[in-house]
Amino acid sequence: MFDFKLPDLGEGVHEGQIVHVLVKEGDALAEYQPMLEIETDKAAVEIPSPKAGTVAKIHVQAGQTVKVGHVLITIDDSAVGVGPPPKAAVQPAAAPTAAPARPAATVLTSSAVAPPPVRAAAPPVPPSAPPAKDGPVPAAPAVRKLARERGVDISAVPGSGPGGRILREDVERFSAGEQVARTATAGPVLPPAGGELPDFSQYGPVRREPVPQIRKTIARQMTRAWLNVPRVTHGDVADVTDLERNRQNFNAALEPGQAKLTITAIVTKAVAVALRDFPVLNCSFDAATEEVVYKDYVHLGIAVDTPRGLVVPVLRDADKKSLPQIAADLHAIAEKARTVKFEIADLRGATFSITNVGALGGKFFTPMVNFPEVGILGLGRAKLEPAVYEGHVVPRMMLPLALSFDHRVVDGAVAARFVSAVIRSLENPLRLISLA
Amino acid sequence: MPREPIKLPQRVESLSVLAADGRIDADLEPALDPADLRRLYRTMLASRRLDERALALQRQGRLGTYGPSRGQEAASLGVAYALGKDDWLVPTFRETAGLLWRGWPMQTWLLYWGGFEAGNVPPAGVHDLPIAVPIASQCQYGMGVAWGCKLRGEGRVCATFCGDGGTSEGDFHEALNFAGVYNLPLVTVIQNNHWAISIPRSRQTASQTLAQKALAYGMDGVQVDGNDILAMIVATREAVEKARTGGGPTLIEAVTYRMSMHTTADDPKKYRTEDEVKAWEPRDPLLRFRAYLHKKGLLDESTAGALDAEIAAEIDQAVRQYEQYRQDPAEFLRHMYAELTPELQAQQAELQAYLERKHAPTPAPVP
Ligand SMILES: Cc1ncc(C[n+]2csc(CCOP(=O)(O)OP(=O)(O)O)c2C)c(N)n1
Ligand SMILES: [Mg+2]
Repeated sequence: MFDFKLPDLGEGVHEGQIVHVLVKEGDALAEYQPMLEIETDKAAVEIPSPKAGTVAKIHVQAGQTVKVGHVLITIDDSAVGVGPPPKAAVQPAAAPTAAPARPAATVLTSSAVAPPPVRAAAPPVPPSAPPAKDGPVPAAPAVRKLARERGVDISAVPGSGPGGRILREDVERFSAGEQVARTATAGPVLPPAGGELPDFSQYGPVRREPVPQIRKTIARQMTRAWLNVPRVTHGDVADVTDLERNRQNFNAALEPGQAKLTITAIVTKAVAVALRDFPVLNCSFDAATEEVVYKDYVHLGIAVDTPRGLVVPVLRDADKKSLPQIAADLHAIAEKARTVKFEIADLRGATFSITNVGALGGKFFTPMVNFPEVGILGLGRAKLEPAVYEGHVVPRMMLPLALSFDHRVVDGAVAARFVSAVIRSLENPLRLISLA
Repeated sequence: MPREPIKLPQRVESLSVLAADGRIDADLEPALDPADLRRLYRTMLASRRLDERALALQRQGRLGTYGPSRGQEAASLGVAYALGKDDWLVPTFRETAGLLWRGWPMQTWLLYWGGFEAGNVPPAGVHDLPIAVPIASQCQYGMGVAWGCKLRGEGRVCATFCGDGGTSEGDFHEALNFAGVYNLPLVTVIQNNHWAISIPRSRQTASQTLAQKALAYGMDGVQVDGNDILAMIVATREAVEKARTGGGPTLIEAVTYRMSMHTTADDPKKYRTEDEVKAWEPRDPLLRFRAYLHKKGLLDESTAGALDAEIAAEIDQAVRQYEQYRQDPAEFLRHMYAELTPELQAQQAELQAYLERKHAPTPAPVP
């Protein structure tokens, strides 16, 4: 059997489109008989068969785009005694010492190697590890120079050019990505464990389901946060009795079409403003360089529970927006997240996150810092509780707050002050208004 | 007498011997040995078939980018025939027919297109330069060779080639100027195949002919029907004779047509009509030469059939040898400097280490 692969059809041509398949499976094939017509961006060309034999399998169809190296047609050349012998079979008479036929790579890959044993769990490979390479790195001198200038190890750069050649853009992308990676993912990133689970079926019937991409992403992200962030949670309670009254009144007087003011929107505003005074909660920690990356913008990640799982879209420049604007934006992004209309870009770039489980109940919990952010504020359910107010025990509307923070950069005292600042805003609606 | 035409001592002529319809100018017909005529035909046919095979091999991924010479065989072959064995030929990459005549083995030619250094090595006793792709560089090389011939005073001549596109290169003009001034034994042949990739002859120069460019450099020019092997022989013989006897250089414009694509990376349908190509088909040099030999009784159907089979087998054999060829992978580093520079040494070491890791077979060059 001979697999005919799309050859390199011309300078700079990496792919082509099948225009016609000129043979059928089972057809007898003469050497140099036209088999396919392929159009590249340079030319439409007819491909003649390199072998005599029969068409064993056609792997492509008209209209399909194929890349160089793609198997197009398998030719059964076993029954054919005439025509040029296969390349590797002939030793030139004049040169008995001649080496096996080129290309060497064919010889090596065709040597009998047993397929690797199937393993239940692949050995852990850090996702950011470059593919193992040996031998010269395929890159032009100008590209190597660029890599040197950027301080990039060229052997670590994945090449996107023909035959894995490393292009200028690859180096640029890599060097940009490396900077992000250095700040974003410094520290251990282990894949979720999973190789050593017991056989549960010995205890009763089980069923395995592959998890969707979103769950994989959540798992990876949570593992990364858990492993990298020495987290502490600071808890407090805000008296939002007056705020709630005002909020209800405000919503009652809304024009139709205006977004309702929610507790989340108000807390978002309060947090955004407080972050301006606490830049250390609006930063990232670069463990590799031992630097703090302060961000001159406030983009808040808002955790949204969707039917598919947790999604954290980003509300940009929250500190510069009015309260009604924030309410409207929150409504829009939550809707987008639930209807899966968001793009990856909508989920990137947050500087601090807010998660509100209050609608579902719960008082105090330990939110997970959304690494590489350093802080997240969790809201429990606001409810009427007996509180001591002006010397009397009275029912007050109390909102539990839980701030988780990365203790590498944020100390407990700073966290407590930050939460106090947020509470001051919530307990003092006039202060909130003055912030808008 | 303020205004009158200037009389130039140089001439620009046009020449055709064997018309496309088979009529022949008996006064101009060269008296060629029948054995030579048969050999010429065989070479032309072999060139055509090898050209077709190379195209197929490229499409199968077995050969590099290839520039076909279909339709231009006579323009190359006639020149090679008119040269003596000790004369020099400087080819472009469409000189397949000429190179075969000069004795280049098919597998060497295949090695060239396969990207091997060995494809650049002329067989022993053949005074040719390797195929050169840089446009009109051949003119300068040829001029230099002719100058060497003149300095040595051995009575040898050099023929060099370029394309219609090549005439717009500075190299072409510098070489002709130099050859004119030094009265060098140089025959420069322009293969005017009407296209320089996608640039038509009409956009290449406002000159009515390419042959007339000879006048600017003080030499004779002749525009020849390049698909007429007899005319090409006649014109080149005259030019070679003149050069050998101290008469200086000549410029020959061979009017021909590139029947195929520029190279395998080109699609001529994007810039020229099928009708234009069709119009040239009856002028195919191979058909015309075959008809001429038939008429002369030098070729019949059965010999033609045997010839076809012989040539096919010869090509099969050459392809096999080509595909068995193994080259020391470091070979390409060895031809620029007499001694490897430190950078090249480092590259060679890197390559060597890589090959060792890959357990590459020890290379054994095949002669
Ligand atoms: C100096 C130089 N410039 C550009 C090229 C790219 N190139 C290859 S062939 C060609 C066109 C040549 O046209 P012509 O001289 O008419 O020769 P033809 O291809 O028709 O035989 C060009 C521009 C080259 N090989 N060398
Ligand atoms: Mg041309």
